[in-house]
Amino acid sequence: MASAPGSFDFFAASRAAVKDHELRRKLANASGRHLEHLAEVVADFPPYEAERDRAREIKADAIGRLDELLAQLKERLGAAGCKVFFAANAADARDYVLGVARECGAKRVVKGKSMTSEEIDLNPAFEAAGIEAIETDLGEYIVQLRGERPSHIITPAIHLSKEDIGRLFANKFGIPYTSEPEALTAVARQRLREAFLSAEMGVAGVNFAIAETGTLVMVENEGNGRLCSSMPETFVALMGIEKVIPRLADLSHFLEILARTATGQKLTTYTTLLTGPRRPGELDGPRAMHVVILDNGRRAMLADPVLREALYCLRCGACLNVCPVYRRIGGHAYGATYGGPIGSIVSPSLFGSAAAYLPFASTLCGACRDVCPVKIDIPRILLHLRWKESEGATPIKWPPEIERARSGARAFARLARYPRLIRIAGKIAALVLKPFGRNGYIRKMPPPFSNWTESRDFPKPRP
Amino acid sequence: MNPASHAHPDVPSSEGDLIARFTRELELLHGRAIVANSEAEAAGALAALCRSENVRSVAAGRGITIDVDSFVNPLVQAGIAIEMIRADGVGEAERAAVRERLARCDLGLAEADYGIASTGTLAVAADASRPSSLTLLTPVSVVVLRAERIVPNLVALFEKIGPTGVAARRLTLISGPSRTADIEKRIVMGVHGPRGLHVIVIR
Repeated sequence: MASAPGSFDFFAASRAAVKDHELRRKLANASGRHLEHLAEVVADFPPYEAERDRAREIKADAIGRLDELLAQLKERLGAAGCKVFFAANAADARDYVLGVARECGAKRVVKGKSMTSEEIDLNPAFEAAGIEAIETDLGEYIVQLRGERPSHIITPAIHLSKEDIGRLFANKFGIPYTSEPEALTAVARQRLREAFLSAEMGVAGVNFAIAETGTLVMVENEGNGRLCSSMPETFVALMGIEKVIPRLADLSHFLEILARTATGQKLTTYTTLLTGPRRPGELDGPRAMHVVILDNGRRAMLADPVLREALYCLRCGACLNVCPVYRRIGGHAYGATYGGPIGSIVSPSLFGSAAAYLPFASTLCGACRDVCPVKIDIPRILLHLRWKESEGATPIKWPPEIERARSGARAFARLARYPRLIRIAGKIAALVLKPFGRNGYIRKMPPPFSNWTESRDFPKPRP
Repeated sequence: MNPASHAHPDVPSSEGDLIARFTRELELLHGRAIVANSEAEAAGALAALCRSENVRSVAAGRGITIDVDSFVNPLVQAGIAIEMIRADGVGEAERAAVRERLARCDLGLAEADYGIASTGTLAVAADASRPSSLTLLTPVSVVVLRAERIVPNLVALFEKIGPTGVAARRLTLISGPSRTADIEKRIVMGVHGPRGLHVIVIR
């Protein structure tokens, strides 16, 4: 399965990505000034910190009584005329959505932005069933045309330059080459508008679901989500179980922080609050509306007192933008649907042992925790997952150079248990290393120690 | 925390302040604000806009407070084609045809239920006579907003509409024209929805 890392070689992929200077330039261009932008919008909105705390409190409360809220949500959605399906795993969700597509005779499906759809690998399933599934978020549309997956939660085509996209459109559509974003956007608008007006079914993700009213909330800038949920006769909304919030009054606390952290906007261009299918006489809205509520490993996260906090995530993508690892390797090198810090903490639960290496793909610098709008302690969860992995029955197969480093660390740990021994070892090492290095650091050492000095200086032990 | 804590000094309270803040925020979002002193003046502003944007066809639905006919009649006289959504809405059989016609119009006219000053946002609820498409399908969107319907912020909006009100209709919050930043983070307007958003505030 493409969304699970499986046999994916993270080490090879990240090594290759680090050497890709063009990718680095694009990532720096796209996310380099994230913190400056955030600082500007926060300075303009004094209640920002209070809103973060309030949003976190609401999430903690909601996740703490998830079953109760999901039952209420199901009841209200039903009362509003929606069909509700609880999917235990990705296969259940895919089967249900395909069943709906067959039932309504869909030949063409327009899709709004949904990371959940990527998580359950919905597009290959549509393709296998002979149904054309078209991503309509501009970034998603571009990566779909390239046969790729999104490399960022918010800006899926962040790894592509406008020239890349210009060449893609010229090749795929047989139009004259242009790298002008305005012209490329106009081409996409025209093609996708036609798709919206002809598709039998729409699929989109959900940002919040209000238990009190049975209302689905979708935030976006482009308007494709509005079109997906209002043009086709059948609409399927996809959401993880963690998207439920108790009351309408809770919503503003999330909306006030989500766009600010995600893109530096006060609010996204469109926020849709949708309760049920269209009513008599209405032009817009589906005749049939389905809501798929996905578990797929989330309940296991709920059961783990440290990990459960990961379910607070709003999928704003800010932690990717500030992560020193993401900013050097980009989203694809993670080999999972969700890249970056948040991906590293949720993927092991969603995709199992195949993603077990991801919690190690971090420097634990804490920038993700600081920027997270709901203050998820990502470094703590990463350490927790590393500990779980080391205690687990099936250890990760590390590449030889990492295995060597790990053996070295283990040997050091054994030595460090004996204070007298380590003092003596330190004295010997200081003596041996005396002629080398400068200002207390050694820049270069021979193998196997070169593994260390390749990326950082070695502090000389003092006699 | 209670809603009062949202009332930071930045949030205006008098009608004049609310209008000023709303229009300032809207223009930061690349929307355009026109302030009119009466419904007649607002209708005149729409007609002027149609001339300057070279509009040939306009889609409209029923207003909330305004008499849409008084906005549309001058346009008819100017030779502009009108696609008017009836008060009782759209029949099942005519849906596809109405949508095709609406999507081909140059400009969509709607009235907002509320405005939000702190973010320059319009809150538009749909019903049979006021489809959500009116603010979505046409390249230019014009929304009429009564100044007394501008609330300070999101909290005030949701308090005003309430859970029952929200659940009763599709509610869309609109903050500026449709936009994307998916190609090298360059902001481009009108990717799927309107590239131009004009709000006529009647005070």
